[in-house]
Amino acid sequence: MTGASDPIDCRQAAARLYEFLDGELTPAADAAVRSHLADCAHCLALHDFEQAYLRFLAMRLRAQGAPPHVQRRILRELFE
Amino acid sequence: LPHPAPPDREGFEREALVHLDAVYRMALRLSGSPADAEDLVQETMLKALRAWHRFERGTNAKAWLLTILRNTYINQVRATRHRAATVDVTEVEAFTVFRDIQDADPEGSFFAAIVDDEVVRAIDALPPDFREVLVLSDAEDLSYGEIATVIGAPVGTVKSRLFRARQLLQQRLLDYAVRAGYVRRRGR
Repeated sequence: MTGASDPIDCRQAAARLYEFLDGELTPAADAAVRSHLADCAHCLALHDFEQAYLRFLAMRLRAQGAPPHVQRRILRELFE
Repeated sequence: LPHPAPPDREGFEREALVHLDAVYRMALRLSGSPADAEDLVQETMLKALRAWHRFERGTNAKAWLLTILRNTYINQVRATRHRAATVDVTEVEAFTVFRDIQDADPEGSFFAAIVDDEVVRAIDALPPDFREVLVLSDAEDLSYGEIATVIGAPVGTVKSRLFRARQLLQQRLLDYAVRAGYVRRRGR
């Protein structure tokens, strides 16, 4: 059911913002946040800012991987 | 002694070994040193290979490996010293960064100016309980439910720790960016 969710205020929207961005809300709670953001420029700006922050974190944190010598060592230990 | 013939080496390579980067990253964030991380990764992958027949097909192999990694790390730490006490009482005021710079930098472009080393340093300085949920979520993209399984805590705990971890890190990154002259706080 969408479009018929109970309205939420700025404080409630902010409290659920990360769950919203992480896709962790139930469809009804997700719709409530979405509908608040559509009506509230301040919360939408906060949403955009936090979304940029999470994208920045993901990009920086995923850049690093196992160095080649570690990959070789693991393969050797596992299968030789 | 020769290893017992792995029952499904191909399956292990295809579904588990592809997550070696994730296991290494998490090992580095947990242990804080490349040498310790290497040993931790090796022990984790050996344990995982031996237990591979018990892995439940269709579930998240990355989450399974990270659970083994975390348990291995905790057992090591327990054997040598006590892990830093849980810090769930840490109070973090929410969304102060946005409040402070929304006029100067509403799109958060100051983040892009922060060098990788500084981001890693700030993450490694987080309390361990905060650091692990942040890495599991923001580096490894695990769901709240998967993180709860990895750390053996309720989903509600994951949710609140992740919220505070992200906010605390954001505040520290802003402090750094202000000191470095990348952005100015409102009214300062």
